[in-house]
Amino acid sequence: MSVKMEVDISGVSRAHVSILPATEIKVAGYQILHMDSNYLVGFTTGEELLKLAHKLSESSPEKSMLSEAVPSPIQTLDVSKSLDSSIHRSSRIFKAKSRYYQPYDIPAASGRRRRRMPSSSDTFLRSVTQGEHGRLPLCLLKGKRTQSKSLDYLNLDKISIKESSDTEVLQYQLQHLTLRGERMFTRNKT
Amino acid sequence: MERQDGKISANEECRAENGESEKDSDWFISQETPQGATEEEVTAQWKPGEPVTPQQVLRLNGYTEDYLCLPEDNIYNINFSRFKIRDLASGAVILDIKKQCPTEIQDVIKPDVNRFIQYHFSPAFLTLKEIGATLEFTVGNRALNRFRLIERHFFRNVLLKTFDFEIGFCIPYSRNTCEHIYFLPDLEPQTVEDMIANPFETRSDSFYFVNNKLVMHHKAEYSFTADTQTDVSCQNGNE
Repeated sequence: MSVKMEVDISGVSRAHVSILPATEIKVAGYQILHMDSNYLVGFTTGEELLKLAHKLSESSPEKSMLSEAVPSPIQTLDVSKSLDSSIHRSSRIFKAKSRYYQPYDIPAASGRRRRRMPSSSDTFLRSVTQGEHGRLPLCLLKGKRTQSKSLDYLNLDKISIKESSDTEVLQYQLQHLTLRGERMFTRNKT
Repeated sequence: MERQDGKISANEECRAENGESEKDSDWFISQETPQGATEEEVTAQWKPGEPVTPQQVLRLNGYTEDYLCLPEDNIYNINFSRFKIRDLASGAVILDIKKQCPTEIQDVIKPDVNRFIQYHFSPAFLTLKEIGATLEFTVGNRALNRFRLIERHFFRNVLLKTFDFEIGFCIPYSRNTCEHIYFLPDLEPQTVEDMIANPFETRSDSFYFVNNKLVMHHKAEYSFTADTQTDVSCQNGNE
């Protein structure tokens, strides 16, 4: 294994930058300087996959899903194949729904525990992963939630939770409380 | 950093023949433990507030389903500005992409939404033996100490190879270029066939550590189909 390192403290890159051709391609914040199609046909970022999935879930069945949804020319036709090929894997997401999408019960102000109610995102996820072209990597579906195994350190009894008719708003607030709690511990450790 | 050449192999006998030693931690490929551990077992041992360590990710026996850190954990504001991969045998540049961002280093921690990427390779890619991957990255106002990349490639739940690169020290407000040489593993023909026939079941986790603490986690999926139906407008062609 070899590592070659170059450092420039002025911030200017010393790496050779090829002269940009007139046909340079820009995709999702990236500029493709060169791509050898003998080896690499294309690539798709996670952001593009999410956009595509959203468009697929919103488009009507009669319309061509790919023709409307491809956000950039770099996505090749095998995106649909990639969407199809792992649907067996994505189906496990909904079989294990209680684990991935109901990580915790929402404590009601009255003390009774409530189950997380289906939200619009569930509908979207179902349409994406159960549809003909539905497939997203699980890491994209889970989003930023990570290592959030316990809410114990949030001291929920000290937090006043307003009763809200919108369960999704409450859920959103709790998720952000979780992330802030984790960051607090992480910063204290560093 | 000095360039070090060496044949990498997860086989201890091969490493001994090459005069390699487990003490040369700068460049050896970490031995994956025979037993391994599931993602759940590793995260079960993790305590809130504690960082994920290299030892923990090296114990994983599969591709993780979730990220093991938040985008905000990149407190050093490490920003990848350019990425290039090339075939060392022919010198052909396979991919060279540059992130569109200001030239000057902005010390603003921005959550990186693009932690995931899918590569659509042709089957010919699997015939390559040595790949050079050049990373250009900038560093914010905090120096990096013992910056390390551990990358693990899986086909389904089979570990293909672990790559371990110790990039080392990076000063604040610097733009750095680093090339890693990947010696691709020799794969059984059946495995190659299976990888081609099952797109995106070949996947990798890239764990970035500073001072043995996980600060970034990127994921990738790979397709090696022989689909020749490509959008001509997106091709740069060969040079």
